Amino acid sequence: MQLLRPDSVESATAELGNGSVALAGGTDLVPLLRDQIVEAETLVELRGVVPRGVREGGSRIGAGTTLAELELDQQIPQALREACSLAASPQLRSMGTIGGNLLQATRCWYWRLKFPCFLHGGNHCHARQGAHREHAVFGNERCASAHPSDPAAALLALGATLRTDRRELPLDELYRLPTEDDRDVTALEPGELILELDVPSPEASTYLKAMDRARFSFPLVGVGAARGSDGVRLALAGVAPIPWRLDAPDDLDRATPLPGTAFKVDLARPLIRRALEAVGA
Amino acid sequence: MARLIKTEKEVEGRYSEQWVVVEDDDALDQWPQGPGAVVGKPATRQDGPQRARGQAIYTADLQLPGMLHAAVLRSPHARARAEKMDLSPALELPGVLGAIGPDDCHVLQSEPGYHGAPVAAVAADSFARAREALAAIEVEWEELEPLLDPEEAVRRESFVSDPRRYDRGDVEAGFAQADVIVEAEYRTQTVLHNSMETHQSVCRWEGDTLEVYISTQFIWGVRASIAEQLELPPDRVRVVCNYMGGGFGSKNSPGDYTYIAIALAGKTGRPVRCALTRREENLATGNRNATIQRLRAGARSDGTLVALDAEYVNAVGWTGWSGPTYGPLEMLYACDNVRTLTYGAKLNLPPNAAFRAPGFVEGTYGLECLLDELAARLELDPLALRRRNHADQDLEDGRPFSSKKLLECYDRAEEHWARRDEVRARSEGSVRRGTGLASQIWYGGGGPPSYAGVRVSSDGSATVLTAMQDIGTGTRTAMAQIAAEELGLPVERVRVSLGDSARGTYASVSAGSSTTPSMGPAVRAAAADAARQILEIAAQRFDLEQRVLSLRDGRVVSADGGSWPLEEITGLLEDAQITGRGSRGPNPAGMRVLTFGVQVADVAVDVETGEVTVERIAAIHDIGRVINPLGARSQVEGGIIQGVGHTLSEERMFDPASGTILTQTLDAYKLPTIADVPEIAVDFPDIPDEHLTNLGSKGLGEPPIVPTAAAIVNAIRDATGADVRSLPVSREEMLRALREAREREKKLATAPA
Repeated sequence: MQLLRPDSVESATAELGNGSVALAGGTDLVPLLRDQIVEAETLVELRGVVPRGVREGGSRIGAGTTLAELELDQQIPQALREACSLAASPQLRSMGTIGGNLLQATRCWYWRLKFPCFLHGGNHCHARQGAHREHAVFGNERCASAHPSDPAAALLALGATLRTDRRELPLDELYRLPTEDDRDVTALEPGELILELDVPSPEASTYLKAMDRARFSFPLVGVGAARGSDGVRLALAGVAPIPWRLDAPDDLDRATPLPGTAFKVDLARPLIRRALEAVGA
Repeated sequence: MARLIKTEKEVEGRYSEQWVVVEDDDALDQWPQGPGAVVGKPATRQDGPQRARGQAIYTADLQLPGMLHAAVLRSPHARARAEKMDLSPALELPGVLGAIGPDDCHVLQSEPGYHGAPVAAVAADSFARAREALAAIEVEWEELEPLLDPEEAVRRESFVSDPRRYDRGDVEAGFAQADVIVEAEYRTQTVLHNSMETHQSVCRWEGDTLEVYISTQFIWGVRASIAEQLELPPDRVRVVCNYMGGGFGSKNSPGDYTYIAIALAGKTGRPVRCALTRREENLATGNRNATIQRLRAGARSDGTLVALDAEYVNAVGWTGWSGPTYGPLEMLYACDNVRTLTYGAKLNLPPNAAFRAPGFVEGTYGLECLLDELAARLELDPLALRRRNHADQDLEDGRPFSSKKLLECYDRAEEHWARRDEVRARSEGSVRRGTGLASQIWYGGGGPPSYAGVRVSSDGSATVLTAMQDIGTGTRTAMAQIAAEELGLPVERVRVSLGDSARGTYASVSAGSSTTPSMGPAVRAAAADAARQILEIAAQRFDLEQRVLSLRDGRVVSADGGSWPLEEITGLLEDAQITGRGSRGPNPAGMRVLTFGVQVADVAVDVETGEVTVERIAAIHDIGRVINPLGARSQVEGGIIQGVGHTLSEERMFDPASGTILTQTLDAYKLPTIADVPEIAVDFPDIPDEHLTNLGSKGLGEPPIVPTAAAIVNAIRDATGADVRSLPVSREEMLRALREAREREKKLATAPA
């Protein structure tokens, strides 16, 4: 395996594809390589290519900014700061970047253990009939995996837009449920790089999280809420194969939980109510 | 003179008769109660700096010249048969020097009964190459239907041993006398030890001697097992363990990995390390098995227990043992009528292994929660209910306890228990607070045989010599304190040399909370033997009567006021030394030696989200004399933290269809982090057991984890009225219990008056 360290976006994108993979903080990629879930001959290191840091009063964030930097940044919206500080552990937050965090893979144990599941290209979801307490309550018909990113739900609630090396992409459009034809959960093209995030400044925002221990655990349910001039936006982590937008709190009634995930709906209800109270909705 | 005696030996409640040889050391009176010059005073760990600096050499650090690395092919199926296995493709890969299968090593299985069972292994010049080579081994599996449900196993009579029945008094007659009967089914989950240092060993042939460097709790047990398996004279097996990173009961035997390393060392003629990965650690090194507990208790209206009836199902796994989940229910309270029935379900799941008070942690959870449900029904104070049913002697055969200060523990718990109104009053909004308690009973008396030597050098420093292991509990320091106390030396002048079966005397297993009570008396006896010799020499040198001399503050002190530095005597020998030897005497005949205690937990429960926060735990444990209050406090803190994980977040899970273990990594298997750790208040009666050895000390390794789950769950009930019946108290279990409590309340409110 070789590591390339390009010094421009152009040379980085030129190196990507053909079995090479982009490396940012490596907190998810390195374990996936070790477990041979991701196979790569060449890693393309993005440090020095992708912008890092917060600009324009907190409304533009370099994709290479670490979660540790964001959790302390007073310019960015509270929801994102809280989501970063509630994610992972201090060590991981010091390495993990916001761009990489948005693209992290599910923690579904069947997927991580390489069961030939739907998400891996197989024909059924092992979690639906199997052990699935950490799994999805929405969008779970074909694949019941849960998206693990806290910041993604916060950014979705905030209405963030991504700037990649080739386009602007609302976060809403980054994620899509895996289908028969395409098992990927993001709409990024091969070799496409997230460079920056544009984050609108809300009037108020928050991120609340329920997990299995006090810290350092992926969300059972995370709730991002942001109040702007056009009303309140809600998004959930840990409840669907992708970060999940709710148009209204009542959307929770349309959840399709599995027997072992019904509690997530009960858990989401008070968290959503509290989040709405917190943003003054 | 050496005396040959037959004595009863107990390890974790399993008794056996055993011949032991003891020295005539019984003349040693126990030290008076209370701190001495060294013993009973806090001492920092002697090996703390080495551990912190990375200078302590663990098995994981060992690099022998020419050493190869083994990797183990493990069964991908919970139950299967290897129709064909071809190791040769692996042997063709670069760096691979040896490969073994079921025909080469007795621990490798061609018909594995659980996911993760060892099937084959290779040795290569790096671990990465060894691991790559595993993929080249060709195996044709015939998959077989696994048995995974313990209730189904009971129906099919799939057991690891015959069901155990116990009967005392007349249970039906007891229930007939009861004013109140409570009944509940409790479940506990499978939890994993997750020692920081994974299971591992390095094996090397040196001439005709097999050297085994291993992370172990029992140097001499490993030696005996390997010698027996390999049909070698025991002295041709040398076992070394200087430092280890935890075992918690899972490292009492050589383990599959050691036999794999031995076989590959034999095959390749090179030293071989077999070190398990974290995933293997979470698959195949044992666990605290899941249990189902159907319990029934009957009591009079004053709280007197009149009947206890229990059915236990231990979900043991493919092999292992059906542990004493019944222990607390049979032993803790004075109830004349007790009946238990215990099944050990044989399943296609990884074998269990002893895990810090095996059986008693699980059984105490069920029993002590049931007792609180009883207290609620009777509207009695839970602490008063426990006092009322205090057992004054052993319930099995009426034997007296060698010492029992449980009532003293209850007295000391009062101040923590008395805070519960104030704790409840701090409830606000959806967060309810409450307090719960649970009693602890466990073994921990240790026993013979155990031997030690003490060497006093010309410079007046001493070394304790014994081939025991320090499994991370601070044993080195405690043993140094005991020897220092007896020799009148500051603890800094005593070192402990341990960890090598070729360089020390036989020492006991570090399991069953037995290290200090087994080894401590032998060390004291050895130190006393050396001290006696020093005084005899001093008497001759200074022309004084020996009885007027004593050792204090590093000096030989005469009753008439004279004193000399110890070196003045020991220096006479120049490079030669004074050596003392000591042995562990028998446990008191006709007595039951046990440890007792109580823990009081304060919790906060968010009744909307089911979030449980353990805010405070007060732990009071009667372990006789405390040798090192600082080390003892650490033991209690560690036990409670492990107990908090067991109670709230840890659970090993498997796929219900295939039996594949799903929680192999530490993101999925959730140990507590420092953010989950409550305030911990630690207290000991610290009253020596006057009948137990020359020390009066019992063990503390296991007691602190025994009552933690029950105390937390009882606090949850106090806070919310919800009955948690299943561990861990996950969000779903907490929300379920809260919903059930609300429905119960609603029913009561709408019931016709």
